[in-house]
Amino acid sequence: MAEERTAVLAAIQDHGGERRSLFLDVPGGIAFRPGQFISCLLPIGGERLIRPYSIASSPATPERVELLLDRVPDGPGSGYLFGLPVGARVDFTGPWGTFVLDRAPEVEAVFVALGTGIAAIRPMLHRAAEGATHPLTLLYATDQPIYREELAAIPGLTVDVVAPTAAEDEIRRRWLERDADRTRQFFVCGVGDIVPRLRDLLRGGYARRAVQYERW
Amino acid sequence: MAKVIVRFENGDPERVIEVDLRRAPFQHDGRPGSILDVLLANGVPLEHACGGSCACTTCHVVVKKGFDHLSEAEENEEDLLDKAPGLTPTSRLGCQAVIEDDDAVIEVLVPRYTINQISGSHG
Repeated sequence: MAEERTAVLAAIQDHGGERRSLFLDVPGGIAFRPGQFISCLLPIGGERLIRPYSIASSPATPERVELLLDRVPDGPGSGYLFGLPVGARVDFTGPWGTFVLDRAPEVEAVFVALGTGIAAIRPMLHRAAEGATHPLTLLYATDQPIYREELAAIPGLTVDVVAPTAAEDEIRRRWLERDADRTRQFFVCGVGDIVPRLRDLLRGGYARRAVQYERW
Repeated sequence: MAKVIVRFENGDPERVIEVDLRRAPFQHDGRPGSILDVLLANGVPLEHACGGSCACTTCHVVVKKGFDHLSEAEENEEDLLDKAPGLTPTSRLGCQAVIEDDDAVIEVLVPRYTINQISGSHG
């Protein structure tokens, strides 16, 4: 089975509402690829629950990683993590996951972040901007656009924030109906059924492999 | 009762499980009645890094018998399987493959590695 490691909760940042960043100190660091996640092993109810969270920070700071999460009503995992004080230990495995971006795309790329889906997308955007030769767009579907100023400062990246309910129409209008260019690449990340719905919408116009996604 | 035979590429001893599918779910990870659900509930370790939510490939198994008695793979599972090492025509993700026939005999092989463990230095 996977090697377990232990991190220490070093800092907490509330974003308002029920959204929060947890900063974990990891001795020795985590060598991860932009887009990957770790799986927290949480002692709840006499068991150890596995709760995966995308790493929202950069691989350039492997010894302090950021997790971004919403408190889920009646969700034991997020409830537990929201109750942890600074200094608490968090066991985890990873990094894991194949929704990754290792280098700047060689075609125009569109990133779609739905709410906390920005966690996986954020390090991907920074990586994509390194040596980018084609346009990069972030469609950020959220009522709470955290990291907005940081994202707006990424060279070559266009950031468009829309309401969560507007994502589907926006995608249809801009990348399916506006032109016949079908060379773009898409990276979609978010929570729930909206993700496969957007996947299906995009795959209706683009090649299957042009649409990468992660659904939580 | 369905029967699940589990073999391990790393040489661990074979396990044979008999299960009453009407009692699913047997624990909390993976789809109720899935291969992962059955194995975990019977003390058979099957990696499932994402908690059985169809977001990784660590519960990849190769189905040697009884493939047609499993639920059909959905697109999300197929997309993930495309990235699994050692992919075969009868590969499935244990968290998604639900045993649908109470008389089924399912035999699965647990591969030695997953791509996630290969790619991560601390995997």
